[in-house]
Amino acid sequence: MSIHVKMAWRNIWRNPRRTVLTVSAIAFACLVLIFMLSFQFGSYETMINAAVKIQTGHFKIQHRQFQENHNIRKTIAHPDAVAGILDKTPGIEAYTFRSRAFSIVSSEDRTYGALVIGIDPDKESRTSTLPDLIREGEYLSQTDTDKALIGRLLARNLKVKTGDEVTLLGQGRDGSVAAAVVTIKGIYSSGQDDFDRAGLHIPLAYFQQVYTMSGQVHSVVAIVQSLDRVTEIKQQVQARLQKLETGNSLIVRDWSEIMPGLKQAISMDLVSGLIFWLLLIIVVAFSILNTFLMAIFERTREFGVMMAIGTAPSRLMKILLTESMFMTGVGMGAGIVLGIFVTLYFQTRGIDIGGAGELLNQYGITGRIYPKLSVLSTAIGPAMVFVITFLAALYPAVKVRRLNPVEAMYFA
Amino acid sequence: MYKIRTFLKILSFLLIIPVTSASAADVTARELIESCWDYMRGRASESVVDMTIHRPEWERTMTIKAWTRGRSDSLFFIEAPPKDKGNATLKKGTDMWTYNPKVNRVIKLPPSMMSQSWMGSDFSNNDLAKSDSIIQDYDHIIESTHTRQGKTVYVIKSMPGPAAPVVWGMQRITLREDFVLLEQTFYDEDLQPVKKMTTRDIAPLGGKLFPRVWKMFKTDTPDAYTLLEYRSLTFTNDLPDRLFTRSSLKNPPR
Repeated sequence: MSIHVKMAWRNIWRNPRRTVLTVSAIAFACLVLIFMLSFQFGSYETMINAAVKIQTGHFKIQHRQFQENHNIRKTIAHPDAVAGILDKTPGIEAYTFRSRAFSIVSSEDRTYGALVIGIDPDKESRTSTLPDLIREGEYLSQTDTDKALIGRLLARNLKVKTGDEVTLLGQGRDGSVAAAVVTIKGIYSSGQDDFDRAGLHIPLAYFQQVYTMSGQVHSVVAIVQSLDRVTEIKQQVQARLQKLETGNSLIVRDWSEIMPGLKQAISMDLVSGLIFWLLLIIVVAFSILNTFLMAIFERTREFGVMMAIGTAPSRLMKILLTESMFMTGVGMGAGIVLGIFVTLYFQTRGIDIGGAGELLNQYGITGRIYPKLSVLSTAIGPAMVFVITFLAALYPAVKVRRLNPVEAMYFA
Repeated sequence: MYKIRTFLKILSFLLIIPVTSASAADVTARELIESCWDYMRGRASESVVDMTIHRPEWERTMTIKAWTRGRSDSLFFIEAPPKDKGNATLKKGTDMWTYNPKVNRVIKLPPSMMSQSWMGSDFSNNDLAKSDSIIQDYDHIIESTHTRQGKTVYVIKSMPGPAAPVVWGMQRITLREDFVLLEQTFYDEDLQPVKKMTTRDIAPLGGKLFPRVWKMFKTDTPDAYTLLEYRSLTFTNDLPDRLFTRSSLKNPPR
């Protein structure tokens, strides 16, 4: 160990209180920055997952033209082949088939145009949160036929309760008149008004029978295990679909393409979050600079003595920089460990945001937000702290070089 | 003296006739449309029509039995294919009801469904319900005239009045001097063509000249269209009131 490293280490522990204060300032800064960023990333992931689990999925496969005009004839001709591909693609958590047709929905005394959606009750429950959104009545079972789930607002518009009958009148895939009377089995409320007003869910098999779909569906909706892999998995699926006979007509779109509004809301929030984060970093920077400066002022006399007995200013500077690097190292280490612990704690427990209200409700977020620790959120904060402390340490270290030993020794 | 009088009379005739016929043309833009609509519809009619919905990859034909009375009442029954037999639509004024035998219910079409297609065709519910809108809500100008097969053909531009509750931004109607409708084009608010209806095979039908085949298509997809082909058409003086009621939706008159 060279002499200045040894001296620096001893200097640090000559005044433990000062050192502990500096180190804990750095540690606290790291902790807060790690947690903040993880919380922000986590809340986005919570938002996205909550939103996609109501309806869109992480990605969705449809006929290219169905996406444009929702023409009932533009179907996925071989759902089983698509299912085979999804089964073989790693990273996919669940998927489900859906069909939809705009129809006249009529109760005893009211009539509205609404979307009739065919869902596979079992698969749907693994892909979306629909079963959890049932507020009245029950979710569909696999053996149900002429039963329906209806959105809270549509139910209110139609003035129907569970157990009431509604008539569906639309057009089948073959151009024939599709008509059915279904009994309301459950009423769901997602918090997303558009969704709760739009439609009515009936079992897929029944839908296919009423609308003469001959086993075809309109969309495949999939959920992947981790949000970061959506793009990668989507591309894989897209590539494999191309090999199908009818693959060229199919298009895969991910959540950000389906819900550009959500993506925009997140980018906007990210910008305001970043501004807050930068302010925090400036505060942290000044506090660290202050701690370092104070430490130097306290020791002016000491430096004077050292220089008087022949210590070269460059060595003094080296010692000071080494001291600050020691403290930064310890502080960052402690901060990162603490930050990870605190974040992990809330990552498993979640943070109650019950009062956050309608803004989040719009995206189906109710209850808890879970911070999400990642390499990125752990690294960025401490990296910034490192740069700041280095610059903060450089200033006094340079200042020391210009010290006049005699004046310094008389410094009170 | 007498000769002079006769000469003056003839002169005045020669002068007046062009004047009166010019002023007659001014009036007739609207009159032409009204006469045309009344001519095509008659007082009351009974008809059987094959409706073919054609799409590039697909085609479907249904047979429809229709009764109309005056400008506002009509009743349609699907006779074939068997799968759709018994489906019916009643129009009274601008209100429409639809009946399906499978669910055995009569449903009044809500305003939100009026722009949807009727029975999957290129005709919308509004095309049926608001077919008289052209007479009530539009101002008409004769844009041009020409002669085809010895008959004068009028091209009439119809613009909606400022506060009229209309679907279209403009319509352009081509009709013959004997009031046979040849073409009707529907434009949006930007005056871009959206849909077009053309007629052909004009032949004696139901006791007068009538186009046997009607075709409706969106102007940007001419390979997707709906054809109406008359199998039979009879004009009568009147039809009973009870025909145009909701109860006759369930029990098709023979």
